[in-house]
Amino acid sequence: MQTEEFTLVRDMLRSFATRHRVGSADEVTPRTRAAARQALDELGLAELRRSSPPAATVQECALLAEEHGRQPLTTSLLGTALLAPELSRLLGITAPTSLPTIALARDLRFPAQHPSPLVAWDCDAADGALHVAPDGTVRQVALGPPTRTADLLRSVRAVPDDGEGEIVGRLGAEAGQRWQSYALVVVTAELVGAVDAFVELSTDYARDRRQYGKRIGSFQAVQHLLADARVLVEACASATRYAAWCLDHEPVDRALTAARVAKAEVNTSAVEAVYTGMQVFGGVAQTWEHVAHLYLRRVLVGADLLATTADLLTTLAEPAPDKSSPADTGALTPTAAEPETIR
Amino acid sequence: MDFELTEDQETIRKAVAGLLRDFDDRYWMEKDRDHAFPEEFYATVAGGGWLGITIPEEYGGHGLGITEATLLLEEVARSGGGMNAASAIHLSIFGMHPVVVHGSDELKRRTLPRVADGDLHVCFGVTEPGAGLDTTRITTYARRDGDHYVVSGRKVWISKAVESEKILLLTRTSRRDEVAKPTDGMTLFLTDLDRDHVDIRPIPKMGRNAVTSNELFIDELRVPARDRVGEEGQGFRYLLDGLNPERMLIAAEALGIGRVALDRAVAYGCDREVFGRPIGMNQGIQFPLADSLARLDAAELVLRKATWLYDRGRPCGREANTAKYLCADAGFTAADRALQTHGGMGYSEEYPVARFFREARLMRIAPVSQEMVLNYLGSHTLGLPRSY
Repeated sequence: MQTEEFTLVRDMLRSFATRHRVGSADEVTPRTRAAARQALDELGLAELRRSSPPAATVQECALLAEEHGRQPLTTSLLGTALLAPELSRLLGITAPTSLPTIALARDLRFPAQHPSPLVAWDCDAADGALHVAPDGTVRQVALGPPTRTADLLRSVRAVPDDGEGEIVGRLGAEAGQRWQSYALVVVTAELVGAVDAFVELSTDYARDRRQYGKRIGSFQAVQHLLADARVLVEACASATRYAAWCLDHEPVDRALTAARVAKAEVNTSAVEAVYTGMQVFGGVAQTWEHVAHLYLRRVLVGADLLATTADLLTTLAEPAPDKSSPADTGALTPTAAEPETIR
Repeated sequence: MDFELTEDQETIRKAVAGLLRDFDDRYWMEKDRDHAFPEEFYATVAGGGWLGITIPEEYGGHGLGITEATLLLEEVARSGGGMNAASAIHLSIFGMHPVVVHGSDELKRRTLPRVADGDLHVCFGVTEPGAGLDTTRITTYARRDGDHYVVSGRKVWISKAVESEKILLLTRTSRRDEVAKPTDGMTLFLTDLDRDHVDIRPIPKMGRNAVTSNELFIDELRVPARDRVGEEGQGFRYLLDGLNPERMLIAAEALGIGRVALDRAVAYGCDREVFGRPIGMNQGIQFPLADSLARLDAAELVLRKATWLYDRGRPCGREANTAKYLCADAGFTAADRALQTHGGMGYSEEYPVARFFREARLMRIAPVSQEMVLNYLGSHTLGLPRSY
């Protein structure tokens, strides 16, 4: 995308986000969800990764995911506009007839081999979900009733256990790695947006809030907390943007490593930075009416999403695959470098 | 619950602090710089009768408990002498415990009064290059030869060996594969460090340079059977008795370093002015120091509980390990923050905080690493599967 074109797309998304952000948990209603859903749909962002080559780079998609994460939004930009279309593209499906999201394991990690308990994640507006098994087989599964996670904004639905699901394609080894990398990058980018915005909110609060006749931001102890949090956010953003860049420019194995590093960084640093922000807000951040807990919930659940820190560090600690070994057979897993379950 | 020290215990603190007042920063800086054993300090402590604090009265000591011993060593470290001071006397304070409990009357009469009056320096010879904390893997071997044993092997990290006349030496008298349990077949001796048969090489190291840490090459050292502590093959069991008190003493020393480092940081924070005001007025300086105070106070309470339990003959493994863990961490953190408070001057040897920093770092490794403490708490206290 040309710079001007991307800027225009990002500004549209920013404007949408500002208009449809929820001001508190009480504002999350079917009506506000529907209005936001329709407004997002009108932006047509699902087309960005539909074609081959895609209209938007991974870096651009990651920046849009960041933008979406900055505000408390109920819309499923990731599931229905950025992730499922990319999966369809990798499978060569150019004209999908439905609007799926992606299916994850019940614990919100990358799913295990079929059949296994699943949920449809980030499924606002979705009519189905795509399940990528560790062997690369992709099935479209049906949606069951809504289910709750600690993230009050995110739509998640059960996937009926009895549904076999229709096989829609199979990812080869490289496409499978590309899919994992992309999913990790996009999900991580949204968390980066959330933590960046929340630290900004808490910094603004420290500028305004007065105690003992002074702005609390004038106290070194508060300043240093926020400076530390800012450093954490920068580390998260840098790792994530590098991983996105790798997907656009580097071999997929390097991109997958970068994506895992980014997610591992965000899993710990983003949570820590949000804790810091909440400490700066003090008591007000503990109230139901305040948006702080919406950010906290998003980041806490996000830290377990797709791959936990334990999953990632274990995988990153493994020796690099032997490049001299015979070419793989096209299956996504398992290999020495890939445990049976994709993490 | 009673948080008061007894009158005697308070007296120990005050008397030791008073006794050591003349050993100032310059004294310790020079000893550390010159790698010179603090003879004057040692003589003063010995002359005050403090070395035999836990040795039974019948052998010239005071027969006091580990609580008093930890108070003494904490105060010694806190005097500004840090680990250079504490290590110079550490083994005399409680290291003879296996001899006191398991040694023959003859061995005790021959050695303990000399330890108590400071005449006899002893070092502790357990760890080996191939067996750090995994003591059962030691290979230094003592072969019986009539009324003697002949010992050969290597030891490493033997503190104060250069200055010592005798060594409390752990050996194998049966190989590991010859005994039912790996802990069987080890024998303890308190014997002369005969330089004709023991080559002692100091290890260059990061700190605590007034007291050497050494590698020992033992070649056919003849040890009289009367130097054996207790029964043959039971040496490891005798050492176990002393592990918990050892952790408590180290905890006390770490605490003392933390306290003196914090004191110096506070003094510097009050004196040093930048931007027209004392730097201690900055929350960025004040809060870390206040945090260290809280951590040192909390660590001290666990240490007091541990020594209280031990002196009453009650199980104290959990508390001894926790005290070592918390005191080592609190002590090092305080030293680190004291150095940071001093800024560039903290890095200079002109101020003692650099020395405290180097010495406090040791306490997170010795005599047992923080990680091994967590192993203990994880498996022995929490009941989780042993991880090593």
